[in-house]
Amino acid sequence: MRYSQFLSFEWKQFKRSSSFQKGIGIKIVLLLAALYFIAAFTSLGLVAYYLIQKSFPQLDPIVVVNNYLIFWFLLDLTYRFFLQQLPVMNIKPFMLVPVKRSTIIHYLLAKTSWSFFNWLPLFFFIPFAIILLVEAYPLIQVMGWLVAMILFTLSLNYLNFLINKNNTYFYGLVSIIFSFAALRYFNIYDITVLAGEFFNKMYSLWYAFLIPLLLLVLLYRRNYAFVRKSFYLDDAIRKEKKLVKTQEFSFLNRFGKMAPFLKNDLKLILRNARPKQVLFMSFLFLFYGLIFYTQETYSDSPAFLVFASVFITGGFLLSYGQLVPSWDSEYYKLLMSQNIPYRQYLESKWYLMLVAVIISFILATPYIYFGWDIYAMIAAGAIFNIGLNSFITLFGGALNRVPVELNVKAKAFGNTQGFNPTQLLIALPKMLGPMLIFYIPYKLINFNAGLLALALSGLIGLMLKSFFLNKIESIYQKGKYKTIAAFNEKK
Amino acid sequence: MIRVENLSKKYNQDEVLHIEHLEIPKGQSFGLVGNNGAGKTTFFSLLLDLIQPTTGHIVSNTIRIDASEDWKPFTAAFIDESFLIGYLTAEEYFYFIGELRGQSKTAVDALLAEFEDFFQDEILQKKKYLRDLSKGNQKKVGIIAALIGQPDVVILDEPFANLDPTTQIRLKKIIKDLDENTETTILISSHDLIHVTEVCERIVVLDKGEPVKDIQTSQATLEELEAYFNK
Repeated sequence: MRYSQFLSFEWKQFKRSSSFQKGIGIKIVLLLAALYFIAAFTSLGLVAYYLIQKSFPQLDPIVVVNNYLIFWFLLDLTYRFFLQQLPVMNIKPFMLVPVKRSTIIHYLLAKTSWSFFNWLPLFFFIPFAIILLVEAYPLIQVMGWLVAMILFTLSLNYLNFLINKNNTYFYGLVSIIFSFAALRYFNIYDITVLAGEFFNKMYSLWYAFLIPLLLLVLLYRRNYAFVRKSFYLDDAIRKEKKLVKTQEFSFLNRFGKMAPFLKNDLKLILRNARPKQVLFMSFLFLFYGLIFYTQETYSDSPAFLVFASVFITGGFLLSYGQLVPSWDSEYYKLLMSQNIPYRQYLESKWYLMLVAVIISFILATPYIYFGWDIYAMIAAGAIFNIGLNSFITLFGGALNRVPVELNVKAKAFGNTQGFNPTQLLIALPKMLGPMLIFYIPYKLINFNAGLLALALSGLIGLMLKSFFLNKIESIYQKGKYKTIAAFNEKK
Repeated sequence: MIRVENLSKKYNQDEVLHIEHLEIPKGQSFGLVGNNGAGKTTFFSLLLDLIQPTTGHIVSNTIRIDASEDWKPFTAAFIDESFLIGYLTAEEYFYFIGELRGQSKTAVDALLAEFEDFFQDEILQKKKYLRDLSKGNQKKVGIIAALIGQPDVVILDEPFANLDPTTQIRLKKIIKDLDENTETTILISSHDLIHVTEVCERIVVLDKGEPVKDIQTSQATLEELEAYFNK
């Protein structure tokens, strides 16, 4: 069994999957985005030296770059965490055939290093290094620095793998970053100075690249050990099972015909790993305002504050709602052959989002601290979420036919990520729309007119509820067979 | 009860099912046998409107299945595990199906009590989610759930597979009872010729998507089927 065989399997899986053809438009957009970033990074790499020279004439550009590298890498890691697709592989068929586990794991890990996120930084570092050479910096030092940068980038790749798959690493890293950020914020200790010195050593001592090399090897080995440990079919082996209680949620009975679905959705969220993760994420969205409302820069551009306000109450709506039929993918055939009109199904999902927005809005009350303007903005955002975003989200769901594994156990091989670039693309109008609706009357008339427009658009959407639901229902109805077939596809 | 008219299903150019005409009267227990790829599951999926017919249609109790959703209230099925909701306990699942079929909790409880020996104490009050049950126990849940609410049509795909011998025997009794005491139309597919001849009044053999035999079950049926499949 050689790596090339794995590659050919993967190519077949990719080509033969039902989601291959449908997303061609989205793929083109992603390709254009990639080209754009490559061009941007390359030109930045080419001009950065001279820009810095002009702004800080007394400093050496390479030193300035090194001083800020820590932020570069932090940003890199953040983008990776949310966007980089981690390898998904069906290991079961390989468990009993004569192929070494180490071969599979090395293949899996090596594959991640081909990600676009590893290539992109090179489009900055390499041109920048070339300019350094043009400017007669010593070859050996520049080469040492460049190699170190590449090794750091690769290390981030494997660090990202760990924090994505393992909560201990994730929370560990997040708390480290937060502690240093706090220390810096309160002027107690500034880690970035130390980091600057550290990265300068990468340049001044050409052999310093051995440090990132060591880091990379260590991280790779951690990854290897981690994946190796999960190389079992948990479900087949795990015998110990937690005893669970039958729950009634009879207080939901007042919702009449929708009650059984709402009860089911509640259980879905409370009893499965993936939805729980989403619930946690949407709780975090509540704090989104803290980032925006505290920054001076945003107070003169309220359109960005609208963006944050929509997020505060819309976290659950956006993150849960975007996967609406997918949450039920494991038993979609049951739903489709039971006595369930699509309309009722969609309406119950809509009510769930409505309740989530209302709860988030109540929890957002402390934002009054930032003033009534802000609070009014959150309220307008909530109305917009209920009246329009909920329907846009349900509509987007009809285009999303990716099955979701509710209770992902074998984490190292499954895709556990909250969202991917495609979903992000569908989500864009949901975020830019409210900004635009606010911004135009705000520019033309005043702040309150903007808020009023936002709230009104939500109210109009709410009045058109049955019209929207009918439209969405017919789209779901039209795609029914395709959706069933796609959800049926075993991963 | 069920009328099939000029039904066919093609994937690209391959015709996987072609039934010119087939009628299943109300109350019949109807068995479908055939080798792998004969089109049994395709036919059942068409009966549940899970896939789209290439030509023709099925009418169930005067309702065209691919044109209206009104067949759903009187039709129940268990095809595979995707008819179960993994994160529910067995009781919750039964009540959920019950609610969809307009059955009160007490009605569901009464029905479940009838099947206590079928469950063999493996299902109820087990405090486990369905996803944590074994394949056989999952199947028991799915089959009984399909009987909730006295549906007129019950469709079971391979109900005997994965069941232990005791449960197989009890399932046969359940199906026979349904056949004798109610007006329920039961459609069953199976690879086990003995089981299917025992419980079904009528057996249709599918071969490469076409019905090749249509037999009213008698003493000689098993032999006839064995001879056919031994060709």
